[in-house]
Amino acid sequence: MKSAVTRFRIMAIICGVMSLLLWFVYMPGKYASNLVEDHKILIFIPIVHGYLYMIYILTALQLSVQKRKSIFEMAWLILAGTLPVASLLAERKVVKQYS
Amino acid sequence: MKVKKIKKFSQALLVLVLVASFTGLGLWQMQRASDLKLAQSQAAIQDRKIYALSDLATPASALDSRSVGKIVEVTGHYIANFKAPNQVDNAGNRRDWEVALLQVGVTASDQSAILVLRGLWSERLLNPDVSQANLVTVRGILQPHQNEDVAENSPSQISRLDSSVITSYTKAELFDGYIASTSESINGAWLERIRIEVRKPVSRVAGFYWQHISYVVIWWLMAVISLFAPFYRRKMS
Repeated sequence: MKSAVTRFRIMAIICGVMSLLLWFVYMPGKYASNLVEDHKILIFIPIVHGYLYMIYILTALQLSVQKRKSIFEMAWLILAGTLPVASLLAERKVVKQYS
Repeated sequence: MKVKKIKKFSQALLVLVLVASFTGLGLWQMQRASDLKLAQSQAAIQDRKIYALSDLATPASALDSRSVGKIVEVTGHYIANFKAPNQVDNAGNRRDWEVALLQVGVTASDQSAILVLRGLWSERLLNPDVSQANLVTVRGILQPHQNEDVAENSPSQISRLDSSVITSYTKAELFDGYIASTSESINGAWLERIRIEVRKPVSRVAGFYWQHISYVVIWWLMAVISLFAPFYRRKMS
């Protein structure tokens, strides 16, 4: 039971950091300046975020099923991985609930 | 009983809409991934054929992206000269470039023109024999217009390589894009000067192949979750 929480927490933190990078480094760098064009290494941000988000969804599903969460809570946990800070807030909430 | 049926029906409808939407979004990302792969493979193919400008472009209309990167040869007269400051080449060197407006065709009645990137501004005096009376044959690579200003516009200077910034200076019908010259000749004599290799244009298909593939998987995962949702029953303690 505890491992599902731990797995979700780890993925929520990683996805939160990646979301922050995606929204505040990659997006402005691609659409508002030439940062991505000049520093090709930055393309790792959306690619890594995309694949980590898949794992995040699976951990959120596992946590929701194990903790018998409602369908809306499950949807919120899944969507939290797409918004900056939201997955970090979700992680804090889960820690409060289950620690 | 009736209310229960309506509720079940609307739930099923909602699930169907969600599944269809997520599947559609996945297919859309799949299409973008394949478009990107196709664009990259086309860019890798080197077409060495030399085209006439009229085969690939028409004045006063947008340049077809399939024509970009093709080698063109065109004959005409230079009718104006511009400085294009702060331009960055493919190697990342920031320099001032010399850009000329070439009136396409051999007779005075020809009223179309295209911008030609001739070389470095510092070398503009190397070929004093190029005057408006000379018939010049230019060979080069067709490039899309630039979008970002890197300098101020003035009658002798252009902010970017884009024919739309010089429309007020000429009555000629202007071609979209420009030619990055690789050679110029006057009466069969080649003009010697450093030619500039411009930056490769960025594909209009946004993103990267594996990024799109990850989105395909995410959207289809969402579709599967939507299908699973009606069967998910929370066991209340």
